[in-house]
Amino acid sequence: MALPYSCIEACRLSTNGADEWALIAASGTRLVVQSSSGAYTTWPPASGSAVGDTEAEGPPGKKIKLSDPSENTSNFSCLALTHDQKHIIAVTAEDKCIRVFRIDTEFQLQQLSQRCMTRRPCAIAMTSDDSTILCADKFGDVYSLPLLPGPEDEQIRSPSVEQSEAAGEKAFVPAASVLTVHSGRNRRVLEEQLKQAAKGPKKPKEGPTFKHDLLLGHVSMLTDIAYANVNGRSYIITADRDEHIRVSRGPPQAHIIEGFCYGHESFVSRLCLVGPDRLVSGGGDPDLFVWDWTNFELLGKLHLRDAVLRFLREQPDLAARVPEDANSFRIAVSGIWHVPSEANEILAACEGIPALFSFRIGISSTAEQCIVLTGNALDVTFIRQSQTGCTAVVSVDNVHVRVSTTERREAEATSRLEYFSYRPGGQWEQDAETGRAFERISQSGGHADKEASLMTSTTGSEKALGAILYGIENLRKRPDSDD
Amino acid sequence: MPGEPAKRQKREAYKSSVESEEQQAALPKKKFYRQRAHANPFSDHCLAYPKSPKDMDWASHYPAYAVQHDSAVRTEDESHDAAQVSSRRAISKPVEIADIGCGYGGLLFALAPRFPDTLMLGMEIRISVTEYVQEKVRALRTQNAATNGFQNVSCIRANTMKFLPNFFSKHQLSKIFLCFPDPHFKQRKHKARIVSYTLSSEYAYVLRPGGIVYTITDVEDLHRWMVEHLEKHPSFERIGEEEQEQDECVHIMRSETEEGKKVTRNGGQKFVACFRRVEDPPWP
Repeated sequence: MALPYSCIEACRLSTNGADEWALIAASGTRLVVQSSSGAYTTWPPASGSAVGDTEAEGPPGKKIKLSDPSENTSNFSCLALTHDQKHIIAVTAEDKCIRVFRIDTEFQLQQLSQRCMTRRPCAIAMTSDDSTILCADKFGDVYSLPLLPGPEDEQIRSPSVEQSEAAGEKAFVPAASVLTVHSGRNRRVLEEQLKQAAKGPKKPKEGPTFKHDLLLGHVSMLTDIAYANVNGRSYIITADRDEHIRVSRGPPQAHIIEGFCYGHESFVSRLCLVGPDRLVSGGGDPDLFVWDWTNFELLGKLHLRDAVLRFLREQPDLAARVPEDANSFRIAVSGIWHVPSEANEILAACEGIPALFSFRIGISSTAEQCIVLTGNALDVTFIRQSQTGCTAVVSVDNVHVRVSTTERREAEATSRLEYFSYRPGGQWEQDAETGRAFERISQSGGHADKEASLMTSTTGSEKALGAILYGIENLRKRPDSDD
Repeated sequence: MPGEPAKRQKREAYKSSVESEEQQAALPKKKFYRQRAHANPFSDHCLAYPKSPKDMDWASHYPAYAVQHDSAVRTEDESHDAAQVSSRRAISKPVEIADIGCGYGGLLFALAPRFPDTLMLGMEIRISVTEYVQEKVRALRTQNAATNGFQNVSCIRANTMKFLPNFFSKHQLSKIFLCFPDPHFKQRKHKARIVSYTLSSEYAYVLRPGGIVYTITDVEDLHRWMVEHLEKHPSFERIGEEEQEQDECVHIMRSETEEGKKVTRNGGQKFVACFRRVEDPPWP
C-alpha cells in the first residue's frame, strides 16, 4: 500500500540560471522529494537503498545518510516552506516535533533541528523575513521559535543550568490552606497534595530546552495561523474551533489584540490571505467568508456548499450521497489556496470531497469551476511555470473510496498526485506534461511499493490513517449536556 | 443517585411556583439554585452567545435603557418582526462593568446602587447560579420599581474564557472584577485559571485604557499567580497599595461578595490586587 500524501509543497531552485522545480510531499512518516529533472530522494533515506544501489536512474549523491533517520515513527501533519525556499519546516504529529530541513542543491533534505513542543502543533507560519517560526497548537497557544536555533540555545541546554534548577527547587508548600474555604472536592485535592509531598519531590517534567516564546493564546483549539505584513505593520491572524478569527499585532507586540473577524457560526479551520488585505476563511459553515481583515469587515461570502452539492449531483456515482434535505448537508473546509499567478483566484477543498472549487474573489460569490479529481482532495501546491500561468499539483486520496473518509478502495488508484494548469482568463485543465515530469513521485505502485512496506508497520490501523488525513469534521461541536 | 429526583422535583416545583404565583417581588431562595463550584471552561457546553457584540440583545437585559425606535415603523404586520428585533437590541449606553464569575451576585447587588448610572453585567458559567442572579435582579427591580433601582444590573450565563470578545467590543469596559475565582490547584489545570498571560490580552482588548482589573482571592498561591501573569503582561500595570485602598470598589469586593463573607466567617485571609490597563504603545 502506498499512503497518500497528506501535505505537499513545491519549491523552485535556480541552478546555473535555469529554474528547476521540486515537489516535497509527506506520506506517513516519510518525506519524498522529486525534482522536475528527475532527482528523487526521501527522508529518512530508504535504508535498503543506502546500502545497495538498486536504482540506476537516481543521481549518485542521493544515498548519503545525513541524519539519524531511524527514530521517526511519527506521521507528518504539516509542511511549510520558507519564503526563500531554502528551508522546509515539517511537523510530526505524534511526537509533537517541529523539524527544520535545509533543501540543498540536489534537492536533498538535511535535517537541521528537531524541536519537540509540549503540545501538538496544528499549524505553522513563517514571518516574512524567514527568521521565525510561528507555531499554533491544539492547546490554543502560539509560540515563536527561531528558524535556526542560535548559540544561546546551547547555553540553555547545558546541564549545569538544569542542575542548578533542580537544586533550587523549593520544598513543596501546598497552595491552599485549611483556612481557604472551598468545596469538599478541593479539600480532598489538598489532602492529596500533602500526601504527594510526603512522598518526596516529583521528578520535574522535562520542558522544552530550546528557545520558544509564548506570544498569544486562545482558550480553544487553534486550527490555523497566518502572518501578514501590511504597510510596515506585521500581524498574526489566528483561527480557532470556537468560531473566532483573531487579529493580533506581530512580534514583539503580539500581546495586543487589534480585533476579531466576527461571523462564523461553526468552527473555522482554514485561513488564506489573498493579497495584503483580503482574507478568506472557511470551516464548518456552508460558505467561505471574504474579509477586509485589517478593518474586521465581512465583504462577502462564497457559496462553497452549493458548489459541492452541484458537483455531487452531477457525478453519477456520487449523486446518491446528496441527502434529500440539502440544507442538512455539511461541509468541512480542509484547504483554501490562493493561486499565485492570479490576483483574486482561489481554490478550495472540503474534507472527503474529490474535487476542487475555484472562486474569483470580488467578482462572483458562486464557484467558477469545479475540478473533478480521482480521489478526495488532500492538499494543493503550485508550480509557477511562467509569469502568466501556473500548475496546481493536487494530492488525492488513493486509498479511500471517493467521498468516503473511512471506506477503503478495493483497488488502489494509480496516482497520488494530479496536475492542472491554469490559463489566464480561462479554465483549469489537466496538465499531462507536468504530470509526466513528476511521474515517479505521483505513482502509487511500482517504486512506491518498496517504501510503502516501510510505512504500514509504523502507521498501523485504518483508524490511524483516517486520523492523519481527515481531522476537520471532528472539530464540529456536538450537542452535549454537561451543565 | 438516590435523593436526586426528590431534589429535582423540589426545584422544579419551586421554580414553577415562582413563575405562576406572580411572586414578582420575592427574592429567590438560594437553596434551590446551588450548583457544584466548578465548571470545565474547555468543554463546549450548550452555551448561547452572540456572534459578535453587535448581535447582543442588550435591551432584554436592561429594559429601562432600551432605545425605542419610532413606532411608525411597526404599524404593519409585515415589518413587525424586524422592527421589534432592532428595538429590542439597542440600549442608550453600553455595559461598562463586568463581574466575571459573579456567582450569586453579591458584588453586583452592592455595586448597583453605588453606580446607579453605570450598566453592569454578571457573567457566570453555572446555569443554576445564573438563574438565581437573574431571579434576584427581577425581584429587586420589582421591589424598587418606584426608584427605578437595579435597572442597571443583569446577569448572563457565559464562558468568558472563550467568548468574552463576543459580548464586548474593543475598549468598551471600564472595570472587570475577578472575585474568588476557582483556584484550580492542580498544575495541569492551571490553564483553566481565569487569569493567564494569554487571556490577559482579551481583558486588555475589552478594557479601555485606564480601565481596571480587580482581583481578590483567599488562596495566596493563586494571588501570586494572578499578580505574576498580569504584571508580566505589557498592557497592565499594578495599582499601588495606597490608591487601591482609596477605591471603594475594593472595599465592596472585600466585604460584599459571597465568598468574601465566607472567608471572613472562617477567619481566612483575603488577597487583593488591581491592575490598570495602559495605553497601547505605537506600532514598532
